[in-house]
Amino acid sequence: MLIEIKALVQELPAVANLSVTELCELSAALGFPVDGVSQEGGETVIEVDVTANRGDVLSHRGFARDLAARVDGKLEPLACPTLEEGAPLMPIHLRAGAACPVYSTAVLDLGEGPGTPEEARRFLASMGTNAKGFAPVDGSNELLFRYGHPTHAFDADRLKGCLIVRWAEEGETLLTLDGVERKLSPKDLLIADDSGPVALAGVMGGDSTKVTPETRRVLLESAWFDARSVRATAHRHGLHSDASYRFGRGADPAMARTGRDLLARRLMDWGGAVLHGAWTAGEVPEASAAIRLTEGTLNRLTGSPISLEEAKPLLERLGFVVSQGADGLWAHPPTWRHDMEIEVDLAEEVLRMRGYDTIPMALPPLQGHPEPLSANYAQRKNLALRLAHLGFHQTVTLGFVSPEIDAEFMSVLGVDNPQGGRTLVNPLGVEYSVMRGSLLPSLRSTAEYNLRQGARELRLFEISPVYFSTPKGPQETLKLGIVWSGTLGGESYLSPARPVRSADLVGIARDLGLEVLPQVHELGDGVFGIEFPLGELGRPQDRIIPAFQAFSRFPAVERDLSLLVAMEQSYAALRDAMTQVLPKDTLQSLACVDVFRHKSLPQGRQAWLMRFRFQHMERTLTGAEVDGWIAKALEAARTHGAELRG
Amino acid sequence: MELSLLPQELRDAYEAFQAALDACGDLDALMRLKGAYIGREGSHAARMMDLLKAAPKEQKRELGASINALKGKWEEGLRIRQAELEDARKRQASLAQAWDPELPPPTPAKGAMHPLNRLMDRMVEVFRPLGYHVEEGPEVETEAHNFDGLNIPADHPARGSADTFYLKEHGDLLLRTHTSPVQVRVMQRLAPTIEARGGIRFLAPGRVYRKDEIDPTHSPMFHQVEGLLVGKGIGMHHLKGTLDYAMKALFGPKAEVRFRPSYFPFTEPSCEVDVRCPLCGGDGCRVCKGSGWVELLGAGLVHPNVLRFSGIDPEVWSGFAFGIGVERTAMMVSQTPDLRLFFENDTRFLAAMGGLD
Ligand SMILES: [Zn+2]
Repeated sequence: MLIEIKALVQELPAVANLSVTELCELSAALGFPVDGVSQEGGETVIEVDVTANRGDVLSHRGFARDLAARVDGKLEPLACPTLEEGAPLMPIHLRAGAACPVYSTAVLDLGEGPGTPEEARRFLASMGTNAKGFAPVDGSNELLFRYGHPTHAFDADRLKGCLIVRWAEEGETLLTLDGVERKLSPKDLLIADDSGPVALAGVMGGDSTKVTPETRRVLLESAWFDARSVRATAHRHGLHSDASYRFGRGADPAMARTGRDLLARRLMDWGGAVLHGAWTAGEVPEASAAIRLTEGTLNRLTGSPISLEEAKPLLERLGFVVSQGADGLWAHPPTWRHDMEIEVDLAEEVLRMRGYDTIPMALPPLQGHPEPLSANYAQRKNLALRLAHLGFHQTVTLGFVSPEIDAEFMSVLGVDNPQGGRTLVNPLGVEYSVMRGSLLPSLRSTAEYNLRQGARELRLFEISPVYFSTPKGPQETLKLGIVWSGTLGGESYLSPARPVRSADLVGIARDLGLEVLPQVHELGDGVFGIEFPLGELGRPQDRIIPAFQAFSRFPAVERDLSLLVAMEQSYAALRDAMTQVLPKDTLQSLACVDVFRHKSLPQGRQAWLMRFRFQHMERTLTGAEVDGWIAKALEAARTHGAELRG
Repeated sequence: MELSLLPQELRDAYEAFQAALDACGDLDALMRLKGAYIGREGSHAARMMDLLKAAPKEQKRELGASINALKGKWEEGLRIRQAELEDARKRQASLAQAWDPELPPPTPAKGAMHPLNRLMDRMVEVFRPLGYHVEEGPEVETEAHNFDGLNIPADHPARGSADTFYLKEHGDLLLRTHTSPVQVRVMQRLAPTIEARGGIRFLAPGRVYRKDEIDPTHSPMFHQVEGLLVGKGIGMHHLKGTLDYAMKALFGPKAEVRFRPSYFPFTEPSCEVDVRCPLCGGDGCRVCKGSGWVELLGAGLVHPNVLRFSGIDPEVWSGFAFGIGVERTAMMVSQTPDLRLFFENDTRFLAAMGGLD
């Protein structure tokens, strides 16, 4: 909301003593931070951020009213004589109950006047609006910014019969001022005459009754419409006007007559209009019920004693009508406050007036035992740190992807995961419309981006949920996705270069402790990826440290065995066959440490160098017994068609 | 040379000499070999001289010539090897001196945690000493948890499809717009045992979604860290004390914190918390839009309706909640100019910002 300092001072002279910085600080302390300060036509204008619950502050006078309560200043009285009301010149029927309890109006003949005064033109410019030089428009705008009450003017000669405030009927339509034909719903509150709808109440007037240069006679509308109904109608029709903004956040019903008076006054003073008559249908609703505030509540909320004697005048300065009973204060909120429902609402007002800076600080005592950090969180954090230490960069990517890319990966992964239940109704675009079933598409595109940027080698991982369609809705599973690509080594005289291979990812998966190794996916352009649910990784154990396991202090014996095996030999089968015939406690490890494939080898054969490591728990091994084991291992290998390489 | 006059062991020594000489890897080994072959006492040469003295007169000349030839061969071999080894030692010494330690050694690869995760982990560390644990909730949420349970009325603008992503085929499912629904889930779960626990306190870091186009300050997905504490007699002073501690722990002991009134449907009273602008120190600059303060988080006392919705009696229990914007904090602390950098995942950015610790 824009506030011109000069116009603010006209409402609250005490503000004149504040510097702009002091005013901004004061405004922020009341809950309305200032987002910007600018100069408009020689006047200082500040942009005040008003919270959604405070429709009453959305004007110079409303803002001044809150400031006045805080600085204990006095608002200038409204410079507007009250119009004398007479018999209705046109019947007005209020048929929407609480949605429109009061409707003030006046009928005036337009005439020749001096026009919109310079002061008002300048003020409108400060508010970012150009003066039209036409009193019904400029006057309505000026008093909206100054006093916050929306008003409207109809061309009185184009209204037929009587005015009715009622809910729309199915099938009714209205051509609004902006030239759009609106299809109305029974939830739309409207103003109608004998011919049908003439305005969307509190939102926008109709085209057929609008004021034009030919208009001779106007009927003013200054009413009060329920905030919910106005918000819903504005939302339904995508029609957000200055009027709907203010009514939608709660206007002051007591301003219905005053708004009418202020607008009529401007028409007479600026436009030379002549008043025919003024009248009001309905009544301003009764003040809301009183809310109780106790000292106990104030003390609990702040941890410091605040007496009711101190609280009472603070609330009164805000316009509450307060009485002190034996059981606390009873406060009736003023007509402009629609955000007061319960005791803490009142307490907040007291704290706001005292200033949040007066509340002391304390740490709450620990009640009960603290809980351990969740195992999931600890696992995720440790995993991320571990991968980072292994050279991987953690990525964060959007949770939604395009349906095509998602489908491509679902088929790569071989997963039946229908997209229907994972698709957004209102995505930012089709490329952001499906909650992803895999992390790999995002990791692949991040890898491609970085490779295009000239990365020589790339290791990325992401820990995020993926979505699986179920009849109840998308089921979230936290997954770890890893991609690896590019060239390893070659940047030091001691490390030769080689391309990243899928085996590198298998090594990582093994290192992370996966029991069942995930499939490594070749994602194109030498990018390899794996993905698996975090649940498949071992959890931190309950024990702080694991149980002791004895280890041998006797010398280990290492032997190599070079075997010729078939090209299609299964490594696991051969290894298991040899392991089975060797003493379990003494064989420390058995692994293939080199693979040799060359045309010098017999057709269809490759050479595997198997390395054995033996170590006995209780004694030094003899050469003879190790020779015996190697012979047995070779025997076992021969059953798989392997032979000793000569 | 006639060796037949020598006993077998000396003939073996002769045979083994060249191999032993070649096996000498350093000067120490060579000196031991020298002692064994031509040393004054107990060497092969000394033993040969004893043999010569004891030999019959007619053999002395021939034997003496052989012994001298053998000894000479040994001495020469030892001398040459000694020169070689001394040379090698000198070469090595000079090589060690000439070695350039600036030559690149092989270095281990360096990765990084994402800066947003790193910051969220840091926040968890900050609250850990106060007894907060970590809770999580789903990103696909129900309207009940995301809105109803948080006292956000059905006609609230945030519930519209202009601000919130909804899912097809599941009318009441949406992408959570804040981490606050975790409050509702955890309170509902713990309400039956709250008395025994003595209250609830946790942090919920996570991803949230709002329908914002991607630009330098907006993203449809971003991160929040939610905090909730429920206890007996909890008030604004506890909220202030907690956040003052946390902001100083995050930004340094001199960090200045300001609390000002605000409005959220799920807290009452509500406040927003600003810290002194780290860029200008309060003088006013582009980052703080001239105000000297940067807004960091929203907070407040949990609205009685929220406690009630989750099955907790607001007459007995009260609490506070806060929600910290992670990207906002990260951008402010690091002065990162563009929010999109956090989701682009350029490894140069990640390495510089995320680091490892
Ligand atoms: Zn600054």
